[in-house]
Amino acid sequence: MNTTNYSVTSSLIKVVVAAVLLASCASTPTRPAGSAEVRAKLTALQSDTALASGAPVALKEAESAVVVAEMIEKDLALAAHRVYIADRKVDIARALAVTHVAEQQRTALVEQGEKARLDSRTREADLARNEAAEQKLQAGQARSEADAALVAANSAQQQAMELQRQLEILQARPTDRGLVLTLGDTLFATGKSEIKSGATANLDKLTAFLNEYPQRTAVIEGYTDSMGSEEMNQSLSQRRADAVKGYLVGRGVSSERLSASGRGENSPVADNESAAGRQQNRRVEVVISPGAP
Amino acid sequence: MYSPFKSTSASRRRLRIALPILLLVASTAFARPPVPTSNLQAAQLAIANAERVDAATHAGVELGEARGKLAAAQRAVEEKEMVVAQRFADEARVEAELAAAKAGAAKAIAVNKDIERTTATLIDEMQRKTGESR
Repeated sequence: MNTTNYSVTSSLIKVVVAAVLLASCASTPTRPAGSAEVRAKLTALQSDTALASGAPVALKEAESAVVVAEMIEKDLALAAHRVYIADRKVDIARALAVTHVAEQQRTALVEQGEKARLDSRTREADLARNEAAEQKLQAGQARSEADAALVAANSAQQQAMELQRQLEILQARPTDRGLVLTLGDTLFATGKSEIKSGATANLDKLTAFLNEYPQRTAVIEGYTDSMGSEEMNQSLSQRRADAVKGYLVGRGVSSERLSASGRGENSPVADNESAAGRQQNRRVEVVISPGAP
Repeated sequence: MYSPFKSTSASRRRLRIALPILLLVASTAFARPPVPTSNLQAAQLAIANAERVDAATHAGVELGEARGKLAAAQRAVEEKEMVVAQRFADEARVEAELAAAKAGAAKAIAVNKDIERTTATLIDEMQRKTGESR
C-alpha cells in the first residue's frame, strides 16, 4: 500500500513538474505586438514585382529593422519603439520605390510626348502640303474654267459669225428696225396669196434661222405695187403676209414670235411707173428683231 | 600561474580583476545617461530636409508627426528621461524621412501626370486639326 502510495505520489510530482515545465514553455515571451503586421507589410512590398527592385538599399534597411522589431523583448516600450521604426522604414522603402518607378516611366512618357509632338509637326506639314496641292488643283480648275470661258467666248464668236453667215445667205439687210429680209414677188403668182411650191428656198432658210435663234421675233410685212385698187392691194398684202407667217408656223416657229401685217401700196422701194420698179415693190419684208442671239 | 596554494596572492589577484569591473558597474549604475544630442540633431536635420522637399504640401500628416515626436524628445530631455528622449528623436527622424520620401513620390507622380496630360492635349489638338481639314 505504502509503496503504491509512494509511486502514485512520485508520478503525481512528475506530472506536476511536467505541467509546470509546459506552462513555462507556453509563457515564453512571444514576438512584440505589431511586429507581425510590419513583417506582412514588408513581405507585400517584397513580392510586388513592380516595386521590389525600386529601392534596394531602403528595402534592406527596412528588412533589418523588421528583424530587430521581431526580437523578443521584455521592455515593451523598446519593443514598440522598434516596431514603430520598422514600420516607417518599410513605408519609406515603398515611397522610394514608387518614386523610382515613376521616374523610370517618365522616360517612356517623355518619349511618347516627343513622338506626339513629332507626329503633330509631320501632320501639320502634311496638311500644309495637302492644302498647297489643293490650291494647285483649284488653280488648275480655275485655269480650265477660264479655258472653258475662252472656248465659250470663241463659240459665241463662232455663233455670231455663223449668224452673220446665215444673214448673208438670207441676204438680210441690217437696218434701224433690225435685220430686214426681202422676199421677192416670185414667191406668189400674180394676184394670188398662195406660196408657190418651187419658190420656198429663202423661206426655208428663214425657218432654219428662226428655229436656231429662238429668242428672235419677226414682223412679216406684205407690200404691193400701185396697180389696182388700194383696198384690194391692202387685202392682198395682208393675205400674203399671213401666208408667210402660216408657212413659218407650219415649220415649227411659234406664232407668238411672229406678227404679220399688210401694208398695201405703202413704202414703195422703187418707181411704180416701170415694170421693173413695180416688181421690186411687190414684196414681203421680214424684219427680224435684234434680240439676244 | 595560478596556484591554489598561494591563497592570499590569488585573492589579491582576483580583487585586481574585479575592482575595475565593479567600478564600471557602479559608474554605469549611478552615472546619469547623456543627452542624445546626435539623435536630436539627426531628427532636426531630417525634418528640415523634409520641409525643403515640400513635405508640408505632399506629406503634411507625416511631417506634423515628426515635429510632434521631436517636441516629445525635447520634453523628455528636460525631464531627464534620456532613453525616452533618444527613442522619440529616432522616431522623429524616421518619420521625417518618410515625409520626405512620400513628398518625392507624390511629386514624381504629379510630374508624370503633367507630361501625360500635355501629350494627351497635343494628340487631341492634332486630331481636331486633322479632323477639320477632312
